[in-house]
Amino acid sequence: MKKRSPLKSSFIKLSTVKKLHKWLSILVFIQLLIWLGTGLFFNLMDHDKARGNQNKKISTLQKVEHTRLMNLDIALKNINKPVTEVALIQRLGKPYYLLTHEKGLYSHFKSDFSLIDAYAGDTFIIDDGIASELAQASYKGNGEISGVAKVKPPIKDVLKERNTAWQVNFSDELNTSVYIDASSGRLIGHSNDDKRFVDLFFMLHFMDYPFLGQGSVGGFNNGQIIFFALLTLVFCLTGFIWVIELLRKGRYRLGS
Amino acid sequence: MSLHRKSRKYHKWLMLFVGVQLLIWSITGAYMVVMDIHYIHGDSLVSTKQKAIAVGDVKYSLRQLLADHNEAVNVKLGMLLNQTVYRFNEGDHKVIVSAFDGRQLSPIDKTLAISIAQDKYANTNALVGHVQLITTNPPRELSGRYLPAWRVDFDDFASPSFYISANSGQLVTKRHSYWRIFDWMFAFHVMDYVDEAAGNKLLLVFTALAFIASIFGLVLTYFRLMPQQNKKNDYFDKKLNKGFTNEET
Repeated sequence: MKKRSPLKSSFIKLSTVKKLHKWLSILVFIQLLIWLGTGLFFNLMDHDKARGNQNKKISTLQKVEHTRLMNLDIALKNINKPVTEVALIQRLGKPYYLLTHEKGLYSHFKSDFSLIDAYAGDTFIIDDGIASELAQASYKGNGEISGVAKVKPPIKDVLKERNTAWQVNFSDELNTSVYIDASSGRLIGHSNDDKRFVDLFFMLHFMDYPFLGQGSVGGFNNGQIIFFALLTLVFCLTGFIWVIELLRKGRYRLGS
Repeated sequence: MSLHRKSRKYHKWLMLFVGVQLLIWSITGAYMVVMDIHYIHGDSLVSTKQKAIAVGDVKYSLRQLLADHNEAVNVKLGMLLNQTVYRFNEGDHKVIVSAFDGRQLSPIDKTLAISIAQDKYANTNALVGHVQLITTNPPRELSGRYLPAWRVDFDDFASPSFYISANSGQLVTKRHSYWRIFDWMFAFHVMDYVDEAAGNKLLLVFTALAFIASIFGLVLTYFRLMPQQNKKNDYFDKKLNKGFTNEET
């Protein structure tokens, strides 16, 4: 004799729920364990080390001799791109006009800048030598510069960055890399082996796998995670219904 | 007790305690990955047009500005709607000064805040709803460092709000319903409703238990998949599921 499940009156049979739960477990178990394992790691990790800023220092500002500042109309006369903003900034203790030609909503979005010496009016280009000095000025570790390279996005250490950067590597025990924006000379950030280790866990948690889809992009909106998230949602929902059913049937008794 | 039966028991009991949180993780996680993060940040609400500054309009020189405001740091020349202005930090707050005559323009009033918000908003047909100056106790969606700020609500899809800094006249934060939902989803995902740091003890205990419970679940899947093992455990299965799996044929 067949008993009717109370759920049968609703849209799905309990047996279907259980079957779904069992079959989905085969599909999602690896990623589910990765999610829980990496989640556990995020909970226990050293959040300061994860930032990769162990060797970073803030450079101090120098006093600007404002009587020496060049007038903006003269400074800008040889610029033939439109300028949306001019900022008086400092690089290596000297004042510069940072001209914005194009600016994204955030500093890591596509932007275009140029720099002009605010005293002399000369164009200031961030070359490998300047990039090294800027990186050194932001660095308080005891390593030496071991390499300088111009890198185009995607940049493995700073996946969200969409602008060309100088990568300045230091020979310290953490293998610190310093990133400098190639057009503005802005310090994008530091990275090191501790941060790279944490990045690996984020890659796993976000399924931002380099070998899938568009490769690693430093985000969590990729096709594979949407697919697995929806499967896992059904998996957890069917499991939840199962628990409710066990409770209803009085199958939760101490000792059972 | 066999490993199979033990796993069944522990999976059942552990899931009684952590099952709800697993369901919450899967719902909140699914929401966060399905919704495009740039949409959530409200990036598509912001107009992309950028106005070039006319250096010829600058009658009040930077040298003059620095002589008049010798505490000024982080000086920028840019646009405030159609005016060329200087923005800078003086002490702990921002100041706007006209680049035409050096007149201080900040803090901005309600009318100007609305105009800036409308200028920055991508949908030029949207109407402005409620407007409010926030000086203390910022809402959950606005960082306190942007105060004082004008909140300009638009009568548009997903109830967008633009926050315009009263001292810099710049768009500092943009929010809409899906961001607000996302914010709660994240809080539920990391089981934290106070400071949203992914490092609380409750989360640690639940994640560890959920991990163990899932391992037991994996053992059950393993026994289910192995044909010989299944036969061996058939007897126990029947016994355990009596009156429960009748409808499974």
